[in-house]
Amino acid sequence: MTSDYKRFALTRAGQAVIVVLLAYVLTFLVISVLPGDAITNTLRDPQHGLSEEDIQRIVAFYGLDQPVIVQLLLSLGRFLTGELGFSLQSNLPVSQIVGDALPSTLTLATSALLIAIVFAVVIAYGAQYLPGRWAAIVRSIPSFFLSVPNFVIGLVLIELFAFRLHSFTTTDPNSPVATLFAAITLAIPVSAPLAEVLIASLDHESRQEYALVARSRGLSEAKLFAKHLVKPSALPSVAMVALIVGELLGGSVITETIFGRDGIGTVVQKAVTGEDQPVLQAVVSLSAVVFVAVNLVADLASPLLDPRVKLRESKLREKVSA
Amino acid sequence: MPLNTQDTNVSADLLADLLTVQGLSIAYGPTAVVHDVSFSVAKGESLALIGESGSGKSTIAKAILRLLPHGEATATGRVALNGRDVLALPEKHFRPLRGRELGFIPQDPASALNPVRTIGAQAQEAAALLGETDPTVRRAKILDVLEQVGLPDPSRVYDSYPHQLSGGMLQRVLIALTVLPRPALIVADEPTSALDVTVQKLILDMLTELRRELDISLLLITHDLAIAAERADSLVVLKDGSVQESGPSLEVFASPTTDYARSLQADVPALHPDRYRNQRITLTPAHDGGSRTPASSAPDAGLQIDVRGVTKRFSAGGKDVLACDGVSFSVERGRTHALVGESGSGKTTAVRLLLGLEQPDGGDITVAGQSTSGRSRADVREIRRHLQLVYQNPFTSLDPTWRVGRIVREPLDQFGVGTKAGRAQRVRETLEAVGLPSEVASRRPAHLSGGQRQRVAIARALVVRPDVVVLDEPTSALDVSVQAGILELLSKLQRELGLTYLFVSHDLALVRQVADSVSVLRRGHVVEDGPVEEIFHRPQHPYTRALLGAIPLATAPTEEQTSKQLAKATA
Repeated sequence: MTSDYKRFALTRAGQAVIVVLLAYVLTFLVISVLPGDAITNTLRDPQHGLSEEDIQRIVAFYGLDQPVIVQLLLSLGRFLTGELGFSLQSNLPVSQIVGDALPSTLTLATSALLIAIVFAVVIAYGAQYLPGRWAAIVRSIPSFFLSVPNFVIGLVLIELFAFRLHSFTTTDPNSPVATLFAAITLAIPVSAPLAEVLIASLDHESRQEYALVARSRGLSEAKLFAKHLVKPSALPSVAMVALIVGELLGGSVITETIFGRDGIGTVVQKAVTGEDQPVLQAVVSLSAVVFVAVNLVADLASPLLDPRVKLRESKLREKVSA
Repeated sequence: MPLNTQDTNVSADLLADLLTVQGLSIAYGPTAVVHDVSFSVAKGESLALIGESGSGKSTIAKAILRLLPHGEATATGRVALNGRDVLALPEKHFRPLRGRELGFIPQDPASALNPVRTIGAQAQEAAALLGETDPTVRRAKILDVLEQVGLPDPSRVYDSYPHQLSGGMLQRVLIALTVLPRPALIVADEPTSALDVTVQKLILDMLTELRRELDISLLLITHDLAIAAERADSLVVLKDGSVQESGPSLEVFASPTTDYARSLQADVPALHPDRYRNQRITLTPAHDGGSRTPASSAPDAGLQIDVRGVTKRFSAGGKDVLACDGVSFSVERGRTHALVGESGSGKTTAVRLLLGLEQPDGGDITVAGQSTSGRSRADVREIRRHLQLVYQNPFTSLDPTWRVGRIVREPLDQFGVGTKAGRAQRVRETLEAVGLPSEVASRRPAHLSGGQRQRVAIARALVVRPDVVVLDEPTSALDVSVQAGILELLSKLQRELGLTYLFVSHDLALVRQVADSVSVLRRGHVVEDGPVEEIFHRPQHPYTRALLGAIPLATAPTEEQTSKQLAKATA
C-alpha cells in the first residue's frame, strides 16, 4: 500500500491506543467515586480471614493509602505492563480469571457475529430479489427481530430445541450445538440493524445508473449482486458491524446467564455483586480494547473497499486531462 | 424448398428494419406515459427520438432495452429486434441479446460506472460477451478499443477507478465498452448532455465514425433538436408520450409540419440568433422615455460592473490552482455581458468574486461606481443589494419547505425593506412581473414546474430592485421551450427595469441570442472579448473557434446523410 495509507493506519492506531487509555482512566474514576471504599470493605471482611500483614501488603500494592490520582497512576502503570492485579474475592490473578472465561465468550460472540452477518445478507438479498409480497414480508423481519428481547428468544429456543426437540441438553451448555443456539439467540437482535442498513444501501445502489448499465451489459441479477452491489453496499455495513460488536459484548452477559454458560458475563456478574474492583476494571478495559480494535479494523478497511475515500485532505484526485 | 421461401420472406422484412417498434404503450401503474408509439430503425441507420422532459423518450429507450423497473412499469405493443419480439421474450432468452445485439450508452458518465471497481474490471464484463475466456486476451481487446475511442494511455485507464477520470474520458470509456461486443444497435440516452460543448462535439464525432466503421445502428435520445438533426438520419418528435411528427431529419428540421415541432424548431437558439435582439433594439428607446425605474433614477449611464485584473488562487494538495488569472470585464448599464467557458474555466469563481462570496487575491471590482475591495462586511452587503443572483438549478435553489411568498419576500426581510404590508405588496407585484399568477405565492416549490420555479428565483432576485442581476446558467436545467419563455421574460424585464445582466453560460448559441458583449474564459484567462457579433463572425482565438465549431447546426446535409439518402432513393 502507499505511504499515505501507512500514515493513515498509524494515525488511526495511535488514536485507538489513546481511546483505550482514556476508557481505562474513566472506568477507574467512576469506580473510585462510587460510595464506600470497596477494597478496604472487602479486605476487612472477617470471612476473608486476611492477616493484618496481608492487608498492609495489599494496601501498599494498590496504593490505597495514597490520593486517588496516585492510585490511578499506579494502576495505569500496571495496566501498561500487563499486570492486572488480583481478585479481591478469590485472590486469583485477574488475568487468570479473565483468561479462563474469555475463550467461551469469544466463541459465542464471534459465532454470533458471523451468524448475524449471514442472517443480514440473506434477509437483504431476499428483500431485494424475492417477488413482491415475499419481499415485503422479508423487509419486516428486521423490525420484528429488534422488537423481541434477547432473553425471550433464548427462552423460546431452549424450550423448543432443548426440551421439546432434544437438539441439545441444558446440562452441557458448552457443547457445539448448545453454543450454536446461544449464538443464534445473540445474533438475532444484532442482525436486525445490520440487515436494515444493508437493505437500504442495496436499494440505493441497485437504483444507481451503473447498475442499469451493468444490466444492459447482460449481467444476471446474481452476478450483478455479487460483482457490483455487494461491495458498495458493504461500506455502510462495515461501520455498522463495528458498532454491533458493542451490542454483542453487552448481549453476551444476558445470553450466558440464560444458557448457563461460564464466560465473561458470569465474571462481570460476580464482580459487580462482590464489588471486585480489579476484575471490573480489567473486564471494562478489555471490552474497550475489543471495541476499539474492531472499529480500528473497520476504519482501516474502508479505504481498501472504497477507492474514493480520501486518506488525507491534501490527496487530490489525479485527473488525467481529457 | 418450402422452408427457404418462408425464411427469405421473413428476412427480407427484417433486413429493411433492424428495430421495429409498433404500437408501444407504457404505463407506470395506472398512469400511461407513452401512447401507441411506432417507428423503425433500418440496419446502419440512425434515428433520434426528440422530446422535452416528460415526453417519454427515455422510457421508450428503457423499454426497448428492457430496463424499466420490475413490477412498476408495464409495456404493451411490439418491439422487434431482428424480427424477435423483445417484449415477449423471457428474460433468460433476452439476456444473451444484451450488450451483444443491443448496446446502451447512458446519460451521465460519472454515475454510469461502478465507483468502487476499476474500469478494467467492468470492461472485462463487456469483453466476456465476445465469448473470449482468457482474461489476458480480453485485456488486449479492451486496450485496443480504449485506444480506438481516443483515450491516451489505455493501460492507465484500464487500472483507474472512475473518479480518477474526467467526464469526457468516462463517456469515451462507456462508448468503448458498448461497441466492444459489436452490437447491432446502440441506444444512446442523451449521451453528451452532461459534457462540455467542445467535448460533446468530439464524442459525437467519434461515435459517428465508429458507427460508420462498425456498421452499428443508433437510436439517439435527445432533447436537443439541433444535435438530433445533425447526427441522425431520421427524427421522431415526441410530446407527452405520443409521436407528433416523424420523417427524415432534414425534412422535419427544415420544414416541420406540426405546431409542436415548429415551436421546438423556433426555440433552438442556434437557428435564431437575433430572436431577442430585435425586441431589445426596437424597444430600448421606450425605456429612455423615463419611468421611475431604479436605473433611470441613477444619474449617469456608465459602467455598472467593472472587474479589473482580478486574480484568485486556490491551493489544494500543495498545488496552487489559479482559478482566475487577471480576469477583466465590464458591463454598461442596461446591457447584457456574457461570461462563456467550459468547466474549470473560472467563470463560476469570477461570479463568486463579484458577488463577494470570495475575496480576490488581487485586482479590483467596482459595482455601480463603488469599489468592493477593502470594505467592511456591512458595506459589501449593501453593495450586494444592488447585485442579485439567479442560480442555475431551480430544482435545488429554492427551499422546498417554504412557500413561494416567503421565498420571494426573504430578501426584503433580510434588508429590512418597508413595512410588512408594503413587503407583501412588493412580493405580489414582483410575482406578477415575472408572469406568475398570484395564487402561486401560497404554494411550495414542489408544486411548480421547472419554468415556474425559475420565475420564482427571478422574482426573488428582483424583489429588492437590484441594478445588476447575475444569471448563472439560468436555463441550463430547463427544456428548450421553457428556456425560450424565461429568456423572453428576462429580456422584457431588462427593457422595463433597465437592468444590467451578467449572463454566465457554456452555451454560445444562447449567448448570441441574449448578450451584447462577451468574454470567453479558459483556465482562468480571458482569451477573447468583445461585442457578440464580432466574436461570432470574426473569432480570433482558436479556442473561441473551437467553441463556435461545437454548436450543432444542421443547416446543410452532412456527407453521410446525403450519401445515405441517395442510396435510399436509388434502392
